[in-house]
Amino acid sequence: MNRKLLALIPLLAFVLVCVFLFQGLFSNPREIQTGRLGQPMPAFDLPDLMQDSKRWQDSQLKGDVYLLNVWGTWCPTCLAELDYLTQLREQGVKIIGLYYVQSYDADFDGEFDMPALREEVTSMLSRAGDPYQFNILDLHRTLSLDLGVSGAPETFLVDSKGTILLHHTGDINPRVWRAKFAPLMQELQP
Amino acid sequence: MKYFLIALMILASGIAMAEQDRYQFDNNEQAQRFTELTKELRCPKCQNQNIADSDAVVAKDLREKVLALVKEGKSKDDVIEYMIDRYGYFVHYDPPVTPATLVLWVLPILIVVFGFGFIIFRQRKAAVKQTWSEQDEALLAKLIAKNERQEQI
Amino acid sequence: MIPELGYFSLTLAMVLSVLLCIFPLWGAHTGNLRLMRAAPSLAVGQFVFVLVSFAALIYASLTDDFTVAYVAYHSSSTLPWYYKITSTWGGHEGAILLWLVMQAGWTAVVALRSNSLPWILRARVLGVLGFLGVGFMLYTLWMSNPFELLLPYFPVEGRDLNPLLQDPGMIIHPPLLYMGYVGLSVSFAFAIAALLTGKLDNTWAKWSRPWTMTAWGFLTLGITIGSWWAYSELGWGGWWFWDPVENASLMPWLVATALLHSLSVTEKRGVFKSWTVLLAIAAFSLSLLGTFIVRSGIIVSVHAFATDPDRGLFILAFLAIVVGGALTLYAFRVSQVRSEGRYKLVSREVALWLNNIFLVVATFIVLLGTLLPMVHKEMGLGSISIGEPFFNKMFAIILVPFAILMGIGPLLRWKQNKWSFLQNKLLIAALMSIVITAAWLYSSYAVVAPLTLLATTLAVWIVMTTAADLYIKATVQTNFSQGLKRLGLSYWAMVLGHVGIAFVIAGVTLTSAYSVERDVSMKPGEIVQLNQYQYRFEGVNTIRGANYSGHAGEVSVLKNDKLVTVLHAEKRRYDIGMQFMTEAAIDAGFTRDLYLALGEQLNNGGWSLRIYHKPFVRWMWIGGVLISLAGFMILGDKRYRTSKKNTDKSQEKLV
Repeated sequence: MNRKLLALIPLLAFVLVCVFLFQGLFSNPREIQTGRLGQPMPAFDLPDLMQDSKRWQDSQLKGDVYLLNVWGTWCPTCLAELDYLTQLREQGVKIIGLYYVQSYDADFDGEFDMPALREEVTSMLSRAGDPYQFNILDLHRTLSLDLGVSGAPETFLVDSKGTILLHHTGDINPRVWRAKFAPLMQELQP
Repeated sequence: MKYFLIALMILASGIAMAEQDRYQFDNNEQAQRFTELTKELRCPKCQNQNIADSDAVVAKDLREKVLALVKEGKSKDDVIEYMIDRYGYFVHYDPPVTPATLVLWVLPILIVVFGFGFIIFRQRKAAVKQTWSEQDEALLAKLIAKNERQEQI
Repeated sequence: MIPELGYFSLTLAMVLSVLLCIFPLWGAHTGNLRLMRAAPSLAVGQFVFVLVSFAALIYASLTDDFTVAYVAYHSSSTLPWYYKITSTWGGHEGAILLWLVMQAGWTAVVALRSNSLPWILRARVLGVLGFLGVGFMLYTLWMSNPFELLLPYFPVEGRDLNPLLQDPGMIIHPPLLYMGYVGLSVSFAFAIAALLTGKLDNTWAKWSRPWTMTAWGFLTLGITIGSWWAYSELGWGGWWFWDPVENASLMPWLVATALLHSLSVTEKRGVFKSWTVLLAIAAFSLSLLGTFIVRSGIIVSVHAFATDPDRGLFILAFLAIVVGGALTLYAFRVSQVRSEGRYKLVSREVALWLNNIFLVVATFIVLLGTLLPMVHKEMGLGSISIGEPFFNKMFAIILVPFAILMGIGPLLRWKQNKWSFLQNKLLIAALMSIVITAAWLYSSYAVVAPLTLLATTLAVWIVMTTAADLYIKATVQTNFSQGLKRLGLSYWAMVLGHVGIAFVIAGVTLTSAYSVERDVSMKPGEIVQLNQYQYRFEGVNTIRGANYSGHAGEVSVLKNDKLVTVLHAEKRRYDIGMQFMTEAAIDAGFTRDLYLALGEQLNNGGWSLRIYHKPFVRWMWIGGVLISLAGFMILGDKRYRTSKKNTDKSQEKLV
């Protein structure tokens, strides 16, 4: 008996591998998820992007379902998704920006040029659409690190209790929205 | 072997720290822990690089964070856990042991067991049929010695 | 005109390979000798046309013909001529064309050198190779045409070859690797032909062995050069990262190594027949799987290759047909095979079987480690990474029994041995290995970790036992120097291969254990110390090359106040892609490398530098070269030469 069955094992193993290889062809291996899923928003205390005096803490964000969108003017994909995000805002989705400063290194660059950045942000948002309720400035990328952000654009879906439910790397477009975000949004805001 | 032996990198050489060094440590143990960690943690943005070799922004941030945590006196496992909390298991090049990853260790062991088992099973079966005496052994040894040269691989 | 000729020539080659696939296989099936006899000429014709096509691409590249998309994307007019030639395999389409050249080349050589084989086997081998040729040519013509034109609007300047690939290592690494990958298709073809014929006897193993050994030699050399290239070119002194692309080349190597050991058992003793056939199928299947992994972008790798899911789909379909077909045939045929040989537990057969087990385990470790992250993610369990810590641990564990076995195996005779006979010899060898290693390491280093000692002892053990075996074998009938001359080439191949492995083990162990590095910022005139060497930073000059500009940092290396060498590490910026490249400066030595990489200029006027001291790093490449020589040595062995005399006789033995 078993000689015949034994001889079939390599073939069966190969077929199994092929199934996974086929599936793997259609997914993006570079998309990774934060370790923060299902956990509360990490504590932070960061300035507003546009006003020096204003500061934001994690406790202030609780109470609403919102998207936290990590972005920067240096990032072309972020520019590309602004239009769709603005449409989402018009549909009533609350979007908060987390501004990811890419190039600043305090040891090398000296004083950070805040006015220049604000000008850039204002001009970009006025051209491409402004989806944000407000923007949090993450100059040293500390909150980004706590959230497991590796670059921009990335988007988190946070519920009213402040729990992180979803993490998406890459741009948000209608396809991504329908597949990943819309079902959860429906549950949260029927 | 690297994994086991890296521990010696700094100890064995007895490097004196100098102000030129990019990373300053309180002691050699910290320096060694930092080197190990930056080689085992994966840059989440890059193609496939550890944070020691990558120049990506996020790799630099993680390096700085590892440096800070090591200097606070955190152990290696503490730092790895800190990173996994934020970036998931992806960030560590050593996979976690879960039911799904168990196959990584179980399959190699199974192959060894079956491989050894097969040859012993065959011996048992063959032994039943075969008889072999001391005289045969002596004769064989003689013959083999004579023809030794022809039977090399 | 020339590019069109290249494409046309490739189309003709494809037609010939379709015929090469159909005629001899049909001929062998129906017993039609005339059809079978067409195979060798078809194989040679196919090779000629592929060669013409490849020459056309080289010509287009040398003449800066930017109407050809491939040349425009992978070359430029400022590129030195030799890199213009190598740029023809620096990109996907060209690399596949090079693969085709190798495939057709191996097929032609098999056609010409197999005239001592019975026609029915020869025809089937060539038919299977023809089938593989059809697959790859179809892929080239359909999905990856290197002669695609950018008309009517073509650029005046090309995008230049990726600076990483502008390196001597890159000139030879891919051709060698492909020679190995494709060469394994010959072992595969022999296995399939034997399965089709239904005769899995030792003659099959004898014919397959020289081809397998040669392919394996190329593969070994390709991997070795690849490792050396990464070390000298990537700028951080790494030589192996367990990256999926590296793993893709290691898996076929491990299986091919198992295969050539198993082939020797099947040839000499007629046992393990079905196992050997399975290994032959697996070795080439893993080459194909490697190609799929590399070209489909299914797995994140540090080596950036152009990827495309359609191409991935084609290769996967081809993989499924070739490997699935082969394994189905295997499942049906192999259950009829019975092995008759008898052997005891302490015998060379068992030693070689255990060798195979360990190599297969190693292959599975690499295979699982490479594919599991993808499977894990597909099952919705999230992303995981499997890298250096995992692989190093696993390989360290299996290295121990494997290396011990490697010392004992050659001393064993076929069929059976008296263990007591060997016991004393082995004990002496083991004790001597420990003493020598301990003396060596404790005299050189202040700290010796137990595992460093163990691994180095194993390397020494392999050398000691190999030497002992050499002495015993040489002095059987005559004195030592006379006896040495009488040992066969394939015996010497084993000696070389095993000593090569010892070099690799020692090199990897010692360089991992005792490499040190410093990451410093220096101003001209400053000195830092690393081990017994002082590095004095002399300053930075601007440099200008044919297609790049940049900075060269000069560092004088002193030992006891005497100048050892002057290192020039460069940081280049290539004109066309504006890419930065680190050209490390390496002072190579038998017992240590001094390695210097230049970083960026800092605010305070200093420069950041990385200095590495890497003891014995070169040993692993020396080992790799020795191992590959073992593979090529078989070409000189008379037993495997096809002599003209046999030709007439073989014409008669049709079946």
